[in-house]
Amino acid sequence: MSGYPLLAVEDLTMHYQTRAGEVCAVDGVSLSLERGQSLGLVGESGCGKSSLALALLRLQPENAQILRGKVLLDGVDLVSLSEEEMRTYRWNRIAMVFQSAMNALDPVYRVGDQIIEALEQHSNAARQDMVDRVGELYKLVNLSPNFIQRYPHEYSGGMKQRAIIAMALACEPDLIIADEPTTALDVIVQDHILREFGNIRKELNMSMLYISHDMAVIAEVSDVVAVMYAGKIVEYGTAEEVFNKPIHPYTRALMSAFPSVTGEKHELATLGGEPPNPLDLPSGCHFHPRCPFATDMCAEQEPPTVRRGDHWADCWNPPED
Amino acid sequence: MARYLISRTLQILLTLFAFICIVYFIVNAQPGDISNVYAMNPELPPDARERLQSQFGLNEPLWKQFLVYVRNVFTGSFGVSFSFYPRTVADVIAERLPRTVALFFTATVFSFYLGFLLGKIIAWKRGGWTEYATTIGGVTLYTVFTPWFALMMIWLFAFKAGWFPIGKFLDPVLWRDAPIEANTLFGRMMLTALALSIIVFVVFVITTRLRIGGARLIQLGSIVVSIGIMLGAWRLTGHGHLAWDIVKHMVLPVFTLTLISFAGTMLLTRNSMLETMREDFVLAARAKGLPEKAVRDKHVARNALLPVVTSLVFSLAFAVDGGVIIESVFSWPGMGQTLVSAAVAEDLPLAVGAFVFVGIFVLLAHLAVDVIYVFLDPRIRY
Repeated sequence: MSGYPLLAVEDLTMHYQTRAGEVCAVDGVSLSLERGQSLGLVGESGCGKSSLALALLRLQPENAQILRGKVLLDGVDLVSLSEEEMRTYRWNRIAMVFQSAMNALDPVYRVGDQIIEALEQHSNAARQDMVDRVGELYKLVNLSPNFIQRYPHEYSGGMKQRAIIAMALACEPDLIIADEPTTALDVIVQDHILREFGNIRKELNMSMLYISHDMAVIAEVSDVVAVMYAGKIVEYGTAEEVFNKPIHPYTRALMSAFPSVTGEKHELATLGGEPPNPLDLPSGCHFHPRCPFATDMCAEQEPPTVRRGDHWADCWNPPED
Repeated sequence: MARYLISRTLQILLTLFAFICIVYFIVNAQPGDISNVYAMNPELPPDARERLQSQFGLNEPLWKQFLVYVRNVFTGSFGVSFSFYPRTVADVIAERLPRTVALFFTATVFSFYLGFLLGKIIAWKRGGWTEYATTIGGVTLYTVFTPWFALMMIWLFAFKAGWFPIGKFLDPVLWRDAPIEANTLFGRMMLTALALSIIVFVVFVITTRLRIGGARLIQLGSIVVSIGIMLGAWRLTGHGHLAWDIVKHMVLPVFTLTLISFAGTMLLTRNSMLETMREDFVLAARAKGLPEKAVRDKHVARNALLPVVTSLVFSLAFAVDGGVIIESVFSWPGMGQTLVSAAVAEDLPLAVGAFVFVGIFVLLAHLAVDVIYVFLDPRIRY
């Protein structure tokens, strides 16, 4: 293997042109992800998680523009590729499990055919081999092969999600981006699918970028966690470190907003205030208007990076180690 | 499905009955009857007029006439035409209908094809000059005063350029000693066109179902070959030049109609496409690495097709009543002209018959749309 990490995002910045003005959805994001690793990206709605995911595949909407930065996959910069070259990377190297699995299947085609469509795009295998492959994938995600020839509307929500996962696995990609894939499902189905998906991923040694606003889910699926706020990564570290010794006040607020079944009983803390207006971001640290520890400094200057080993956060007033 | 079709058929019969009632009474609400045409004729004695009235049953009360009419319609008879006496209404319609259908079906199919194609393109590439040019051009043609535009087309292409005949269905000089009736020949032409479309349709269905490689080439080849065979066969019959004469007469009206009406389909397709483009499966198709064209045609256009097909089928149904304006400007002896002349000549059975005929087609089109939907959208089950 080359010396590169599987995925390295460097200073990625993406803007949306809107009628009200320019919105900086992804603001100088840097990440890196090793082969087989799972990165959890957590943050409130509208913080730029999904924009980041789309930017990685260069599927951002027409009014969005990647201003600078690199997305290196095995050392190849995807941002500078031509559209034709980029197409060969999509799904083949980076697949995606969408936020709304319910609508990610085209209603007028059989589900099996939609998986074959992805296979056809990236291989020259004989049709029969592709049909067999779909059968394998269905077995892998615990779907009955009878459903291969059925239409999406004949699937239940959980089944659709499994089919979407099967589709994402079809070309054996190096990286799967899962954008809140289980949000629309009930908790029990969600738990089942997450667990199975995790096992498959480990078996096939794929990397995953898991996007969610749900700390509990992130804790379950990720090796490394990145916390995003207003387009920036504000804290980054292994799941263990981030959950046990969070540095950024935002991370702490997110964690205390979720109940723990096994831990001590305590009042659920809610994070006051509203997510920042992306058109008019607060000066200095974007989080300062909602931060209980904010000082004058926070409003004036961008916070420095506090490093504790590989675990870091951007904050003026980090807690004592 | 069978159950659904049966209940729909019953509904259609009920609707048809209501439709016949309305049409019959509205048309008969105009004063007088066929005997009025002779009212100013001094050679016709009053008792002859009365005989005429009683011969056609016009002296009976209207409700009685109506009941007789309904009974006749449901036994398949539309009565006798007064102005074409002794020909029956069905006979007159049978002569005029194919001409109208040939003209307006062709034009409708062309305008939908063009409209769908353009709608697809302008929805995909928004904001460019192509969008403004096609939208402004299309809407201008759509709203322009039709008789004026048709006359301009004749003036430009038939009179100035001399590429096409100025009007009418055929060239009488050429047909004076023709060994065959125009209608017979025209019927055969229609059959040829029908056979051709069936063959092409079957080839398309087979190639897409079986996923044969190079489907495009096979489809194109089959079209070329079957057109070649048809043309060869027509040459052999020796009536080729006569058929060509009719085709030549059709070009300009079809062209005009297509230009006038394509914008409707174009805008409908555009809106339907724009709505579909927001769907997640479109993003998913892109993420799968499909080329833009495949995303547009296989996923977006395919899903945007439904409302367009609905509109197409209804347009085809209304194609049977032709267009009074276009038929008059191009002197095309079809249903539109028949309706007008029947109304003017107080030929009420013919007028009612023509309307009822259109009604039947529209109702059948409703049924056809229901059936087509099952094939277009797997979510629909009856």
